[in-house]
Amino acid sequence: MIELKNVTKKFGNFTAVDNLTLAIPKGEFFGFLGPNGAGKTTTIKMIVGLFAPTSGAITVNGYDVVKQPIEAKQSLAYVPDIPFLYDKLTGREFLFFMGGLFNIEKSVVNQRIAELIEHFEIGSWIDKRSEDYSQGMKQRITIAAALIHNPCAIIIDEPMVGLDPRSAKIVRETLHAKSQSGISILMSTHSLSVAEELCDRIGIINHGKLVFCDSREQLQFDKDRFDGKFESVFLEVTKQ
Amino acid sequence: MLLHIIKYKFRSYLKSTLDLRTVAITRGIGTLIVYGSFAYGMYSLAYFLTSFMLEHTKVGLHLYHTFISMMLFVFFIAVNLGNIIVSYSTLYRSAEVNFFFTKPVPFVKIFILKFFDNFFYSSTTLFIVAFMALLGYGNYFGHPWYFFVGSMLFVLIPFMFLAACLAVLVLMAIMKVAGKVGFKSVMAGLFILYFFLIFLFFKQSNPVTLVEQLNRYYPQMDKYISQVIPTFLNYLPNQWVSEYLFYCARGEIVKAFPYAGLILLITILIYGLCIFIAKRYYYKSWLVSLQIKSIARVPYNLAKRKFLDFRSKSILSPQLEVLTKKEYFSFIREASQWIHFLIMIILTALFALSISNLNLRLRVMDIQLLTYIVIFSFSGFMVSSLALRFIFPMIGMEGQAFWTLRSSPVKESKILLVKFVLGFSVVLLMAMFISISGNLPFARMTAMRPLLLWFGVFNAFWISLTMVSLNLGFGSFFANYSERNPIRAASTQGATLTFLITIAYLIILVIIILLPISSYFSTLFMFRQFDMKLIIIPGTVFGVISYILTVIGLITGLRSLRRDF
Repeated sequence: MIELKNVTKKFGNFTAVDNLTLAIPKGEFFGFLGPNGAGKTTTIKMIVGLFAPTSGAITVNGYDVVKQPIEAKQSLAYVPDIPFLYDKLTGREFLFFMGGLFNIEKSVVNQRIAELIEHFEIGSWIDKRSEDYSQGMKQRITIAAALIHNPCAIIIDEPMVGLDPRSAKIVRETLHAKSQSGISILMSTHSLSVAEELCDRIGIINHGKLVFCDSREQLQFDKDRFDGKFESVFLEVTKQ
Repeated sequence: MLLHIIKYKFRSYLKSTLDLRTVAITRGIGTLIVYGSFAYGMYSLAYFLTSFMLEHTKVGLHLYHTFISMMLFVFFIAVNLGNIIVSYSTLYRSAEVNFFFTKPVPFVKIFILKFFDNFFYSSTTLFIVAFMALLGYGNYFGHPWYFFVGSMLFVLIPFMFLAACLAVLVLMAIMKVAGKVGFKSVMAGLFILYFFLIFLFFKQSNPVTLVEQLNRYYPQMDKYISQVIPTFLNYLPNQWVSEYLFYCARGEIVKAFPYAGLILLITILIYGLCIFIAKRYYYKSWLVSLQIKSIARVPYNLAKRKFLDFRSKSILSPQLEVLTKKEYFSFIREASQWIHFLIMIILTALFALSISNLNLRLRVMDIQLLTYIVIFSFSGFMVSSLALRFIFPMIGMEGQAFWTLRSSPVKESKILLVKFVLGFSVVLLMAMFISISGNLPFARMTAMRPLLLWFGVFNAFWISLTMVSLNLGFGSFFANYSERNPIRAASTQGATLTFLITIAYLIILVIIILLPISSYFSTLFMFRQFDMKLIIIPGTVFGVISYILTVIGLITGLRSLRRDF
């Protein structure tokens, strides 16, 4: 479970995230939407420990990400918006690297890598150095790496960027299955259709504040108040 | 076209430089203080060395300028090699070059732009070094102000520019040949060629021989100097600069001018040749660089286990194991890293072997003391350069992939520890090698009394520890995760600042050891018993200063690692 309580992040005088409170229970697939610069990536970076919040508290699985970062990160998986990898490592080496960071035994990593290679269909190029990968290949390796330690929560930023239709389908199905198995997922995306298809609940952030947060069922009522399209709801709540 | 691009590059530079935020202003003042102190230190050192050599040790004007010529040769090779390595990144692997190639900009203009960009970017500190050394040296002789301006503009800058032009010519030749016989073979050939050239130079004009001659003919070296200086030196640009300075020092300006003219003329001719070749070959060689990149990639053989293979078992914990292996592969698979490292190992070995054979004959304390201090300073300088080049960029080289570590359950201290242990092991090993080699002549001179050897080992340990900690810590503080080139990362403003701090530390160490070493030689020559307190107290001060700097470096590094990414 992921919980944010009155979280604020300031960069100098600029407030990127403003008193955000949010809870994603076990097994929920939460869609995090918002215009460019709304504070989505800043929020995500605070949850995974890349940014320290200016105020407020964030907990993952009951562990405070500032006070108990190691315990919090142990159960967390993160897929960034731009999948930067170590250029000189091959995809397979990168997976071993990530497995080691999460203190997984070598034999277990070996087995998981074999499963992930098959699942994400990455076997034909996994032993090339990642400097030769396309954006989509890097994205698939990053997603595979995020799942190597069987996380309890997944934070994923723009997962479909650069993926071909087949890979996108695999990723969508994987995330859906993970959510069904009890893993909490927070997914930031600009794709309204993907959010509608996958998410149990959708939140929209604008100017650092959560301006909309409803379940998929409730969203249907909201859509009906406009022209039946989620796009119209989104434009309305983010028009300022 | 060229002016248009320069205008926008300059605007962008101004915007990033003229930052009026408090943090930026504070940093600017700090930079100014460190640069200013360094510049003053360089000036004082040049002035002191000139007066010490000419008045105290009385080596004579001619021999002193022969030493200057040798230092200029090392300087020329350093600028040249540095430019070969950095030019490869700026001319062939830069995103800006890729961008310009998609625009209707003539190739030769892109070449000129990146060449000057590269030269001025990588030579800022060297300009300061050259100018302040010239100022200190010239002031000793009471030269007028126009000597400094003229010598800088028409002698020293062209001298450095000549080294850079030759570097680019060599680089284009490498690309030409590499397209046919492979990059690795060419680099190996070039490596052997440079090694052979340096070896030949020092074989013919050996500083060890010169020191020995100095000891034999002391104090009337100027009389015999022509017997020990080989004639081939007259064909080298470092000798032209040295001759120019020599005649200026003697007030024979008319005899100095031809040497300045020669440097200027040759530099213009070589630059013209660069442009001529670049016009025809730069774009083609850029295409070759792409081809090399694809050829160089050897298909991965799954069945064959590599050294430190990720699949192999390890005695380390999983985190330590993968962090170490990642460091190893990132280093060994980056050509600019291992090639540069190999060059530095060879240069260190050459230096160490050369000084280990030094034969200190004459029992004149001042000469021995000076030799000891010069060897100590130069050894410290080599360790400092090694740490700057390879340790400083270690954190920044994580690049944008650093998110993997920051979002994983790894303590920042563990990340720092792995980098520290790896860096410290290598630097310590080389520092010990240099230190023992550098102290061997003194051990031989003192009938193998071990005191200086042990003192050298003690110094090497603390210097390595401090240099690695400061470079790792400040490298973390100034880390630019967008810079993918380790050589450029090691020549940024932050790197220069760190280098200057380590040089200031070395100067303090020299001051600390000056008295005990001088007392040691003095008691030896006077056959008296050496009071160990004279070395224990300064040694303790040495250790305490080093320890404090080590802690400062590591704490800075750790705190910087915890910053927002």
